[in-house]
Amino acid sequence: MRFDSYHPAINLFFFAAVIAGTVLFNHPVFLGLSFLCSFAYAAKLRGRRAAGFGLALAPCILLFALFYAGYTHFGVTVLAKNFIGNNLTLESFVYGMVLGTMAASVLLWLSCMNAIFTGDKVVYLFGRVSPRLSLFLSLCLRMVPRLGERARETGAAQRGIGRGLNQGGLFRRIGNFFRMASILVTWTIENRMEAAASMRCRGVTLRGRSALSIYRFDYRDRSLVIAFSGLAAVLLTGFFFDQMRILYNPEIIFNRITPASYIFYLAYGIFCLLPLALQMCGEWRWKRRARQTADEMGA
Amino acid sequence: MAHFTIENLTFAYPEAGKNALQDVSLQIQEGEYLVLIGKSGSGKSTLLRHLKTALTPHGVRSGRVLFSGKPLEEAGLREQSAKIGYVMQDPDSQIVTDKVWHELAFGLESLGCDQRTMRLRVAEMASYFGIQDWFHRDVAELSGGQKQLLNLASIMAMQPEVLILDEPTSQLDPIAAADFLNTVRKINLELGTTVILSEHRLEEVFPAADRVAVLEEGRLMALDTPRGIGRRLRAEGSDMVAALPAPMRIFYGAEGGGECPLTVREGRSWLSREMEGRPVCRETPPAPLEEIPAADAAVVLKEVWFRYEKDAPDVLRGVNLQVPRGSLFAVVGGNGAGKSTMLKAICHICRPYRGKVLLEGRKVEKYRPDELFQGMLAMLPQDPKTLFVKKTVREELLEMLPGRGGEEREERVLKIAAELQVADLLAQHPYDLSGGEQQRAALAKVLLLEPKILLLDEPTKGIDSFYKKTLAEILAGLKRKGVTILLVSHDIEFCAQYADAVAMFFDGGVVTANTPGRFFAENSFYTTAANRMSRHLFPYAVTADDVIRRVCESRGEGKERIRRGERQ
Repeated sequence: MRFDSYHPAINLFFFAAVIAGTVLFNHPVFLGLSFLCSFAYAAKLRGRRAAGFGLALAPCILLFALFYAGYTHFGVTVLAKNFIGNNLTLESFVYGMVLGTMAASVLLWLSCMNAIFTGDKVVYLFGRVSPRLSLFLSLCLRMVPRLGERARETGAAQRGIGRGLNQGGLFRRIGNFFRMASILVTWTIENRMEAAASMRCRGVTLRGRSALSIYRFDYRDRSLVIAFSGLAAVLLTGFFFDQMRILYNPEIIFNRITPASYIFYLAYGIFCLLPLALQMCGEWRWKRRARQTADEMGA
Repeated sequence: MAHFTIENLTFAYPEAGKNALQDVSLQIQEGEYLVLIGKSGSGKSTLLRHLKTALTPHGVRSGRVLFSGKPLEEAGLREQSAKIGYVMQDPDSQIVTDKVWHELAFGLESLGCDQRTMRLRVAEMASYFGIQDWFHRDVAELSGGQKQLLNLASIMAMQPEVLILDEPTSQLDPIAAADFLNTVRKINLELGTTVILSEHRLEEVFPAADRVAVLEEGRLMALDTPRGIGRRLRAEGSDMVAALPAPMRIFYGAEGGGECPLTVREGRSWLSREMEGRPVCRETPPAPLEEIPAADAAVVLKEVWFRYEKDAPDVLRGVNLQVPRGSLFAVVGGNGAGKSTMLKAICHICRPYRGKVLLEGRKVEKYRPDELFQGMLAMLPQDPKTLFVKKTVREELLEMLPGRGGEEREERVLKIAAELQVADLLAQHPYDLSGGEQQRAALAKVLLLEPKILLLDEPTKGIDSFYKKTLAEILAGLKRKGVTILLVSHDIEFCAQYADAVAMFFDGGVVTANTPGRFFAENSFYTTAANRMSRHLFPYAVTADDVIRRVCESRGEGKERIRRGERQ
């Protein structure tokens, strides 16, 4: 039901498109849409903590805008003068808001991406391009957490003989830290040698490596691609009509808002919300089905 | 047809004084199950590594290895990768990718198989090995046994003709090890894959093997059926007899008649026949573990509760334990039961959120860290490599004695090295030692702290039966000096033979503690092979020696004879 049940290429396309849109479209309406959608999606995916994070970002945007206006002084609409006589302008303040919102939205989209686009999807997509590169990534994904695990184990063993990171005076502790680093380095080298032997055994050096794909591109994926493409076409049109970009320097200048503009807003909103909508729709249908089954059982 | 033919293979590692392999000739038939045994350092791994070019070590070599009738080197890398599967010791370092499915496909990807073939083979393997439930998991989440099974499956996915396994179960607990070896047996029986396996846990592999090869200092000492090997080792008075499965050891120790039993079942019926018509004296049960006054306990745990994280489940759930001063106390129990965590709680590495840990009558948190680890307490971790910092064993030991006079330090190091039989290894790099040697070097290091209480976490892991004996002697020596030893282990046989008291750890607590005789006699599954084999006649016989003694006594044989039998 979640967006990650779709093909990884679609996941990648969506997040690439939506982050590109957030960075490229500096029209306040589009930025606002992006921020709200990313906030809603992050809250849905990652729960209360993500929602708290999103809410905490809002005052940060305002603070950033104040800070920005205090340091850059372009623009013609002077609101006030600060104590050294520089202009505080509406334009620079608004532009600060725009930059802040942009950064916050990108952060939120990245946190969604983190939940959906896991390491094995990266490995898979790279595998389509270069099996070797994808293997390398996969090796790293195994090695890095393992090193952490080993560091914990070593730490406990060293504490068991009174040489732990939190035992002894300051100098002893520094010494113990280097001991541990040294143990880990030796272990890593040794371990990599064994892993290399195991890979050689299974013919890693042979030419013509392929990559197993556990994903299939099915009809559901295709229909989603069509929907995304349609929306993207609408948005591109808008982009060529200069609906997404406005000027802030020296004066806020934007194209007139026509009824057509609302179409673009709507298209962008749908685009950003589609994964969330699909997930909620799926959940709703699931619940309805469960209820129906229960009713039938009852009857 | 011979699958592998080894002709007069002699090999020496660079700069080594002696040959690692000396004139080894051996033919391995197609579909055969061959077991390679020998003490550690006898050249088992070196020989196995010669059966695959990608792993063959550098050094001076003469003689040759034929694979299916032609020299091994002539089979290219592609052919060797697919046809010769090799499983190594350490389950963890062989796994190279992060997902189970990717690891399964690894070999096939190297061979450049297309999607259809790969999908089918991977599906097949996952179903055959019963790993479809963890197909999508991260490999980091698997247990040691599951990891080794995954290694085996990922090699079998390439459909090899030969499967070579180099001590594959040495890092596994007994249950996982038996499981793994059963799978290997199944592959051999159902697919006809040739299996060449080196092992020191012989209870499971002896009944399965077609032939057994014995290596001693690089020479092929014997090559015969399992029973034939038993007979020969016995006739030559070899100390390898100590490594044989318990039923065989008892059979030879008691000089039984008839065919030598290999399994517990065969052992039981042999023993029944042997004892027929002879009086079985009613045994008085051995003394139970005495309650000791708290003042005589070196370590006391009182209702200790611990969990790793706030919302995680409890690992220790009210552990109560009393370890008498100067005793060797063993705690046995399944994997992940929390035994190691208990040791960490005693060391104050894990801090219990409820309950008390008393060392020599004083709360552990009242000790200053310096006090605690200087002359009071030390723990030997499961993996000795986590202790090694330096380039040689000598430096390793010296570094434990900071700031003392040069002469005196040197002297103490030599003394402890002699005690732990690592004196010849002082110049070597700790990583170059065998498992048993590493264990002893690490123990030497820990003992330089002069602990009164020594905690050992799985000290027999990856050690063969000879090293176990040495370890037992070392521990006995420490005990004489008044050191209290608390060890946690899966190794029932070791605990039965050498511990003063055994406790069972289950579900986050110590369920029962007793003397080995009582403890194992009360269990019927979780007990030694010798006990399972003889419990219908001698309910309190726990070790092979116990059974031998009772059989000899029932024949009315003298003390001299019994002692001879026990020496076996």
